[in-house]
Amino acid sequence: MTNDPGENHFRELSWRRKLTDAEEAELRAWLAAHPEARADLETETELNDLMDRLPQAPVPSNFTARVLQAVDREEARASRHPKLGSWRWIPRWFPRAAFAAVLLSAGLVSFHQVRGAVRRAELARSVAAVSDVSSLPSPEILSNFDAIYALKPTPPPDEELLALLK
Amino acid sequence: MSAELEADAALMLRVKQGDSHAFAELVDKYKQPVMNLAFRMLRDATEAEDMAQNVFVQIYKSAHRYEVSSKFSTWLFTIARNLCLNEIRRRSRHPAESLDAPHPDQPDQPKHQFEDPKTPSPPASLLQGELLEKIDQALSELPENQRTALILCRQDELSYEAIAEVLGCSLSATKSLIHRGRETLKEKLKPYLRTGQWRSDKS
Repeated sequence: MTNDPGENHFRELSWRRKLTDAEEAELRAWLAAHPEARADLETETELNDLMDRLPQAPVPSNFTARVLQAVDREEARASRHPKLGSWRWIPRWFPRAAFAAVLLSAGLVSFHQVRGAVRRAELARSVAAVSDVSSLPSPEILSNFDAIYALKPTPPPDEELLALLK
Repeated sequence: MSAELEADAALMLRVKQGDSHAFAELVDKYKQPVMNLAFRMLRDATEAEDMAQNVFVQIYKSAHRYEVSSKFSTWLFTIARNLCLNEIRRRSRHPAESLDAPHPDQPDQPKHQFEDPKTPSPPASLLQGELLEKIDQALSELPENQRTALILCRQDELSYEAIAEVLGCSLSATKSLIHRGRETLKEKLKPYLRTGQWRSDKS
Protein backbone atom coordinates (compact mmCIF):
# COMPACT_ATOMS: atom_id res chain seq x y z
CA MET A 1 0.00 0.00 0.00
CA THR A 2 1.11 3.56 -0.50
CA ASN A 3 1.40 6.29 2.08
CA ASP A 4 -0.97 8.51 0.14
CA PRO A 5 -4.27 8.54 2.06
CA GLY A 6 -6.18 9.54 -1.07
CA GLU A 7 -4.90 6.61 -3.09
CA ASN A 8 -5.46 4.19 -0.21
CA HIS A 9 -9.00 5.49 0.20
CA PHE A 10 -9.93 4.72 -3.41
CA ARG A 11 -7.97 1.47 -3.39
CA GLU A 12 -9.72 0.14 -0.29
CA LEU A 13 -13.11 1.23 -1.60
CA SER A 14 -12.53 -0.61 -4.87
CA TRP A 15 -11.38 -3.77 -3.07
CA ARG A 16 -14.82 -4.18 -1.55
CA ARG A 17 -17.24 -2.97 -4.24
CA LYS A 18 -17.71 -1.07 -7.45
CA LEU A 19 -17.37 2.66 -7.01
CA THR A 20 -20.52 4.72 -7.28
CA ASP A 21 -20.80 7.34 -10.02
CA ALA A 22 -19.99 10.07 -7.52
CA GLU A 23 -16.94 8.15 -6.29
CA GLU A 24 -15.81 7.55 -9.90
CA ALA A 25 -15.99 11.28 -10.59
CA GLU A 26 -14.08 11.97 -7.41
CA LEU A 27 -11.44 9.43 -8.46
CA ARG A 28 -11.07 10.98 -11.91
CA ALA A 29 -10.54 14.38 -10.35
CA TRP A 30 -8.01 12.95 -7.92
CA LEU A 31 -6.15 11.13 -10.72
CA ALA A 32 -5.96 14.34 -12.72
CA ALA A 33 -3.95 15.77 -9.85
CA HIS A 34 -1.97 12.53 -9.25
CA PRO A 35 -1.30 10.96 -12.66
CA GLU A 36 1.52 8.80 -11.23
CA ALA A 37 -1.05 6.70 -9.34
CA ARG A 38 -3.16 5.97 -12.45
CA ALA A 39 -1.36 2.76 -13.49
CA ASP A 40 -1.58 1.17 -10.02
CA LEU A 41 -5.25 1.96 -9.57
CA GLU A 42 -6.07 0.69 -13.05
CA THR A 43 -4.35 -2.61 -12.23
CA GLU A 44 -6.44 -2.81 -9.07
CA THR A 45 -9.60 -2.29 -11.12
CA GLU A 46 -8.51 -4.94 -13.61
CA LEU A 47 -7.97 -7.44 -10.80
CA ASN A 48 -11.39 -6.60 -9.34
CA ASP A 49 -12.97 -7.27 -12.72
CA LEU A 50 -11.14 -10.58 -13.04
CA MET A 51 -12.24 -11.68 -9.57
CA ASP A 52 -15.82 -10.75 -10.35
CA ARG A 53 -15.68 -13.25 -13.19
CA LEU A 54 -15.22 -16.16 -10.79
CA PRO A 55 -18.48 -18.11 -10.84
CA GLN A 56 -20.61 -18.44 -7.74
CA ALA A 57 -20.63 -21.83 -6.07
CA PRO A 58 -23.64 -23.91 -7.16
CA VAL A 59 -26.50 -23.91 -4.63
CA PRO A 60 -29.15 -26.60 -5.09
CA SER A 61 -32.69 -25.26 -5.44
CA ASN A 62 -33.83 -27.33 -2.46
CA PHE A 63 -30.98 -26.22 -0.22
CA THR A 64 -33.17 -24.34 2.29
CA ALA A 65 -35.60 -27.25 2.53
CA ARG A 66 -32.72 -29.63 3.20
CA VAL A 67 -31.35 -27.37 5.93
CA LEU A 68 -34.77 -27.27 7.60
CA GLN A 69 -35.02 -31.06 7.39
CA ALA A 70 -31.54 -31.38 8.92
CA VAL A 71 -32.58 -29.05 11.75
CA ASP A 72 -35.69 -31.15 12.39
CA ARG A 73 -33.60 -34.32 12.46
CA GLU A 74 -31.13 -32.72 14.88
CA GLU A 75 -33.90 -31.60 17.19
CA ALA A 76 -35.52 -35.03 17.16
CA ARG A 77 -32.18 -36.68 17.86
CA ALA A 78 -31.36 -34.22 20.64
CA SER A 79 -34.69 -34.82 22.34
CA ARG A 80 -34.17 -38.61 22.23
CA HIS A 81 -30.54 -38.56 23.39
CA PRO A 82 -29.54 -35.51 25.40
CA LYS A 83 -25.98 -34.86 24.43
CA LEU A 84 -23.52 -35.18 27.31
CA GLY A 85 -21.30 -32.56 25.77
CA SER A 86 -24.09 -30.02 25.89
CA TRP A 87 -24.91 -28.07 29.05
CA ARG A 88 -28.49 -27.49 28.03
CA TRP A 89 -29.76 -30.79 29.49
CA ILE A 90 -28.41 -29.97 32.95
CA PRO A 91 -31.03 -28.49 35.33
CA ARG A 92 -30.43 -24.94 36.52
CA TRP A 93 -30.09 -25.96 40.17
CA PHE A 94 -27.36 -28.47 39.37
CA PRO A 95 -24.31 -26.16 39.56
CA ARG A 96 -25.30 -24.83 43.00
CA ALA A 97 -26.05 -28.32 44.27
CA ALA A 98 -22.70 -29.54 42.94
CA PHE A 99 -20.92 -26.64 44.62
CA ALA A 100 -22.66 -27.37 47.93
CA ALA A 101 -21.74 -31.06 47.63
CA VAL A 102 -18.10 -30.17 47.03
CA LEU A 103 -18.09 -27.88 50.10
CA LEU A 104 -19.74 -30.56 52.25
CA SER A 105 -17.24 -33.19 51.09
CA ALA A 106 -14.33 -30.87 51.82
CA GLY A 107 -15.76 -30.22 55.33
CA LEU A 108 -16.17 -33.94 56.04
CA VAL A 109 -12.66 -34.73 54.85
CA SER A 110 -11.23 -31.94 57.06
CA PHE A 111 -13.23 -33.15 60.09
CA HIS A 112 -11.97 -36.72 59.64
CA GLN A 113 -8.41 -35.54 59.27
CA VAL A 114 -8.58 -33.43 62.45
CA ARG A 115 -10.22 -36.27 64.37
CA GLY A 116 -7.58 -38.72 63.18
CA ALA A 117 -4.81 -36.34 64.26
CA VAL A 118 -6.33 -36.00 67.76
CA ARG A 119 -6.59 -39.78 68.10
CA ARG A 120 -3.02 -40.27 67.02
CA ALA A 121 -1.87 -37.71 69.59
CA GLU A 122 -3.81 -39.47 72.37
CA LEU A 123 -2.32 -42.81 71.36
CA ALA A 124 1.18 -41.33 71.38
CA ARG A 125 0.60 -39.99 74.90
CA SER A 126 -0.62 -43.40 76.11
CA VAL A 127 2.37 -45.18 74.62
CA ALA A 128 4.68 -42.66 76.28
CA ALA A 129 2.98 -43.19 79.66
CA VAL A 130 3.31 -46.99 79.40
CA SER A 131 6.93 -46.74 78.38
CA ASP A 132 7.59 -44.64 81.53
CA VAL A 133 6.78 -47.61 83.83
CA SER A 134 10.24 -48.90 84.75
CA SER A 135 9.31 -52.42 85.93
CA LEU A 136 6.28 -54.49 86.58
CA PRO A 137 5.92 -56.86 89.60
CA SER A 138 6.86 -60.48 89.02
CA PRO A 139 3.92 -62.76 88.19
CA GLU A 140 4.99 -65.06 91.11
CA ILE A 141 3.46 -62.70 93.65
CA LEU A 142 0.07 -63.57 92.19
CA SER A 143 0.48 -67.35 92.82
CA ASN A 144 -1.55 -67.19 96.10
CA PHE A 145 -3.97 -64.57 94.81
CA ASP A 146 -7.02 -66.85 94.89
CA ALA A 147 -6.34 -68.00 98.51
CA ILE A 148 -5.80 -64.46 99.71
CA TYR A 149 -8.87 -63.23 97.84
CA ALA A 150 -10.95 -65.97 99.61
CA LEU A 151 -9.98 -64.82 103.11
CA LYS A 152 -12.54 -62.96 105.18
CA PRO A 153 -12.12 -59.23 105.23
CA THR A 154 -9.49 -58.31 107.77
CA PRO A 155 -9.62 -55.29 110.03
CA PRO A 156 -8.08 -52.16 108.63
CA PRO A 157 -4.34 -51.87 109.19
CA ASP A 158 -3.01 -49.99 112.18
CA GLU A 159 -1.68 -46.92 110.49
CA GLU A 160 0.16 -45.67 113.59
CA LEU A 161 1.97 -48.97 114.06
CA LEU A 162 2.93 -49.02 110.43
CA ALA A 163 4.30 -45.52 110.74
CA LEU A 164 6.41 -46.47 113.72
CA LEU A 165 7.77 -49.55 111.95
CA LYS A 166 9.00 -47.48 108.97
CA MET B 1 -27.60 -0.24 13.40
CA SER B 2 -28.66 -0.16 9.74
CA ALA B 3 -32.05 -1.30 8.52
CA GLU B 4 -30.52 -4.45 7.06
CA LEU B 5 -28.80 -5.28 10.33
CA GLU B 6 -32.01 -4.68 12.19
CA ALA B 7 -33.78 -7.00 9.77
CA ASP B 8 -31.27 -9.81 10.41
CA ALA B 9 -31.37 -9.23 14.15
CA ALA B 10 -35.16 -9.26 14.12
CA LEU B 11 -35.14 -12.53 12.19
CA MET B 12 -32.67 -14.04 14.64
CA LEU B 13 -34.84 -13.00 17.57
CA ARG B 14 -37.69 -14.87 15.95
CA VAL B 15 -35.39 -17.86 15.34
CA LYS B 16 -34.50 -17.81 19.05
CA GLN B 17 -38.20 -18.26 19.74
CA GLY B 18 -38.29 -21.26 17.42
CA ASP B 19 -39.70 -19.56 14.30
CA SER B 20 -38.59 -21.78 11.41
CA HIS B 21 -39.94 -19.35 8.77
CA ALA B 22 -37.58 -16.66 10.01
CA PHE B 23 -34.76 -19.18 9.91
CA ALA B 24 -35.65 -20.13 6.33
CA GLU B 25 -35.48 -16.43 5.37
CA LEU B 26 -31.98 -16.14 6.80
CA VAL B 27 -30.88 -19.32 5.03
CA ASP B 28 -32.26 -18.04 1.72
CA LYS B 29 -30.47 -14.75 2.15
CA TYR B 30 -27.06 -16.09 3.12
CA LYS B 31 -26.86 -19.50 1.43
CA GLN B 32 -24.95 -18.16 -1.60
CA PRO B 33 -22.18 -16.30 0.27
CA VAL B 34 -21.77 -19.18 2.73
CA MET B 35 -21.55 -21.65 -0.15
CA ASN B 36 -19.01 -19.43 -1.89
CA LEU B 37 -16.83 -19.30 1.20
CA ALA B 38 -17.09 -23.05 1.83
CA PHE B 39 -16.44 -23.84 -1.83
CA ARG B 40 -13.36 -21.63 -2.04
CA MET B 41 -12.02 -23.01 1.25
CA LEU B 42 -12.74 -26.72 0.69
CA ARG B 43 -12.49 -26.75 -3.12
CA ASP B 44 -15.16 -29.43 -3.47
CA ALA B 45 -18.75 -28.61 -4.37
CA THR B 46 -20.31 -31.59 -2.59
CA GLU B 47 -18.33 -31.03 0.59
CA ALA B 48 -19.06 -27.31 0.39
CA GLU B 49 -22.77 -28.06 0.19
CA ASP B 50 -22.63 -30.36 3.22
CA MET B 51 -20.55 -27.79 5.05
CA ALA B 52 -22.93 -24.92 4.26
CA GLN B 53 -25.83 -27.05 5.49
CA ASN B 54 -23.91 -27.82 8.66
CA VAL B 55 -23.17 -24.11 9.15
CA PHE B 56 -26.87 -23.26 9.13
CA VAL B 57 -27.71 -26.16 11.43
CA GLN B 58 -25.09 -24.84 13.85
CA ILE B 59 -26.59 -21.37 13.56
CA TYR B 60 -30.00 -22.74 14.49
CA LYS B 61 -28.62 -24.77 17.38
CA SER B 62 -26.63 -21.78 18.67
CA ALA B 63 -29.42 -19.26 18.20
CA HIS B 64 -29.89 -18.99 21.99
CA ARG B 65 -26.33 -17.62 22.22
CA TYR B 66 -26.83 -14.92 19.60
CA GLU B 67 -26.56 -11.36 20.95
CA VAL B 68 -28.46 -8.71 19.05
CA SER B 69 -25.58 -6.30 19.59
CA SER B 70 -23.34 -8.31 17.25
CA LYS B 71 -23.79 -8.29 13.52
CA PHE B 72 -25.45 -11.47 12.28
CA SER B 73 -23.34 -11.83 9.13
CA THR B 74 -20.11 -11.52 11.14
CA TRP B 75 -21.31 -14.23 13.51
CA LEU B 76 -22.40 -16.41 10.59
CA PHE B 77 -19.12 -16.12 8.66
CA THR B 78 -17.09 -16.71 11.82
CA ILE B 79 -18.93 -19.99 12.39
CA ALA B 80 -18.59 -20.88 8.69
CA ARG B 81 -14.86 -20.22 8.67
CA ASN B 82 -14.26 -22.15 11.90
CA LEU B 83 -16.17 -25.18 10.63
CA CYS B 84 -14.27 -25.10 7.34
CA LEU B 85 -10.95 -24.87 9.19
CA ASN B 86 -11.99 -27.85 11.34
CA GLU B 87 -12.78 -29.81 8.19
CA ILE B 88 -9.42 -28.90 6.63
CA ARG B 89 -7.64 -30.01 9.82
CA ARG B 90 -9.65 -33.25 9.88
CA ARG B 91 -8.70 -33.88 6.26
CA SER B 92 -5.04 -33.37 7.00
CA ARG B 93 -5.24 -35.87 9.89
CA HIS B 94 -7.26 -38.42 7.91
CA PRO B 95 -6.38 -38.11 4.25
CA ALA B 96 -9.15 -39.52 2.07
CA GLU B 97 -8.57 -42.83 0.35
CA SER B 98 -8.24 -42.46 -3.39
CA LEU B 99 -11.35 -43.46 -5.29
CA ASP B 100 -9.08 -44.59 -8.10
CA ALA B 101 -7.43 -47.24 -5.94
CA PRO B 102 -7.88 -50.69 -7.55
CA HIS B 103 -10.30 -53.24 -6.16
CA PRO B 104 -8.39 -55.99 -4.28
CA ASP B 105 -10.18 -58.81 -6.15
CA GLN B 106 -10.61 -57.08 -9.50
CA PRO B 107 -7.48 -55.09 -10.28
CA ASP B 108 -9.02 -53.60 -13.40
CA GLN B 109 -11.91 -52.12 -11.40
CA PRO B 110 -11.72 -49.23 -8.93
CA LYS B 111 -12.15 -50.17 -5.25
CA HIS B 112 -15.14 -47.86 -4.79
CA GLN B 113 -17.85 -47.07 -7.29
CA PHE B 114 -20.57 -44.60 -6.38
CA GLU B 115 -23.54 -43.35 -8.25
CA ASP B 116 -23.55 -39.57 -8.61
CA PRO B 117 -27.00 -38.46 -7.50
CA LYS B 118 -26.35 -34.79 -8.24
CA THR B 119 -27.57 -33.44 -11.52
CA PRO B 120 -25.32 -30.34 -11.57
CA SER B 121 -21.91 -30.78 -13.13
CA PRO B 122 -18.81 -31.24 -10.97
CA PRO B 123 -17.05 -28.11 -9.70
CA ALA B 124 -14.29 -28.26 -12.28
CA SER B 125 -16.80 -27.57 -15.02
CA LEU B 126 -17.78 -24.36 -13.25
CA LEU B 127 -14.44 -22.82 -13.94
CA GLN B 128 -14.52 -22.86 -17.68
CA GLY B 129 -11.71 -21.49 -19.72
CA GLU B 130 -8.08 -20.91 -19.06
CA LEU B 131 -8.56 -17.55 -17.40
CA LEU B 132 -11.06 -18.74 -14.81
CA GLU B 133 -8.85 -21.71 -14.05
CA LYS B 134 -5.90 -19.40 -13.58
CA ILE B 135 -7.79 -17.08 -11.24
CA ASP B 136 -9.16 -20.00 -9.28
CA GLN B 137 -5.76 -21.65 -9.04
CA ALA B 138 -4.04 -18.43 -8.01
CA LEU B 139 -6.69 -17.87 -5.35
CA SER B 140 -6.42 -21.43 -4.05
CA GLU B 141 -2.66 -21.13 -3.71
CA LEU B 142 -2.94 -18.20 -1.33
CA PRO B 143 -2.54 -18.85 2.41
CA GLU B 144 -5.90 -19.57 4.02
CA ASN B 145 -6.22 -16.26 5.87
CA GLN B 146 -5.38 -14.19 2.77
CA ARG B 147 -7.82 -16.21 0.65
CA THR B 148 -10.62 -15.93 3.21
CA ALA B 149 -9.98 -12.20 3.59
CA LEU B 150 -10.21 -11.71 -0.17
CA ILE B 151 -13.41 -13.76 -0.47
CA LEU B 152 -15.08 -11.97 2.43
CA CYS B 153 -13.88 -8.65 1.06
CA ARG B 154 -15.96 -9.18 -2.08
CA GLN B 155 -19.09 -9.77 0.02
CA ASP B 156 -20.99 -6.51 0.03
CA GLU B 157 -22.28 -7.32 3.47
CA LEU B 158 -19.03 -7.12 5.32
CA SER B 159 -17.04 -4.08 6.36
CA TYR B 160 -13.29 -4.31 6.96
CA GLU B 161 -14.03 -4.27 10.70
CA ALA B 162 -16.36 -7.25 10.31
CA ILE B 163 -13.80 -9.15 8.23
CA ALA B 164 -11.21 -8.46 10.92
CA GLU B 165 -13.61 -9.90 13.52
CA VAL B 166 -14.21 -13.04 11.44
CA LEU B 167 -10.47 -13.55 10.96
CA GLY B 168 -9.74 -12.72 14.59
CA CYS B 169 -7.13 -10.06 13.82
CA SER B 170 -6.80 -6.30 13.85
CA LEU B 171 -8.13 -3.97 11.19
CA SER B 172 -4.65 -3.07 9.95
CA ALA B 173 -3.61 -6.74 9.86
CA THR B 174 -6.74 -7.52 7.83
CA LYS B 175 -6.02 -4.81 5.29
CA SER B 176 -2.44 -6.03 5.11
CA LEU B 177 -3.66 -9.60 4.44
CA ILE B 178 -5.90 -8.37 1.65
CA HIS B 179 -3.13 -6.24 0.18
CA ARG B 180 -0.61 -9.10 0.23
CA GLY B 181 -3.12 -11.52 -1.27
CA ARG B 182 -3.95 -9.11 -4.06
CA GLU B 183 -0.28 -8.45 -4.77
CA THR B 184 0.29 -12.21 -5.14
CA LEU B 185 -2.73 -12.50 -7.45
CA LYS B 186 -1.52 -9.55 -9.54
CA GLU B 187 1.87 -11.20 -9.89
CA LYS B 188 0.38 -14.55 -10.93
CA LEU B 189 -2.21 -13.05 -13.25
CA LYS B 190 0.13 -10.46 -14.71
CA PRO B 191 -0.19 -11.85 -18.26
CA TYR B 192 -3.96 -11.29 -18.12
CA LEU B 193 -3.97 -7.91 -16.43
CA ARG B 194 -3.82 -4.76 -18.52
CA THR B 195 -3.89 -6.75 -21.75
CA GLY B 196 -7.64 -6.44 -22.12
CA GLN B 197 -7.67 -9.87 -23.82
CA TRP B 198 -10.35 -11.23 -21.58
CA ARG B 199 -12.61 -8.22 -21.96
CA SER B 200 -13.66 -9.26 -25.49
CA ASP B 201 -15.57 -12.28 -24.15
CA LYS B 202 -16.71 -10.67 -20.91
CA SER B 203 -20.33 -11.50 -20.28
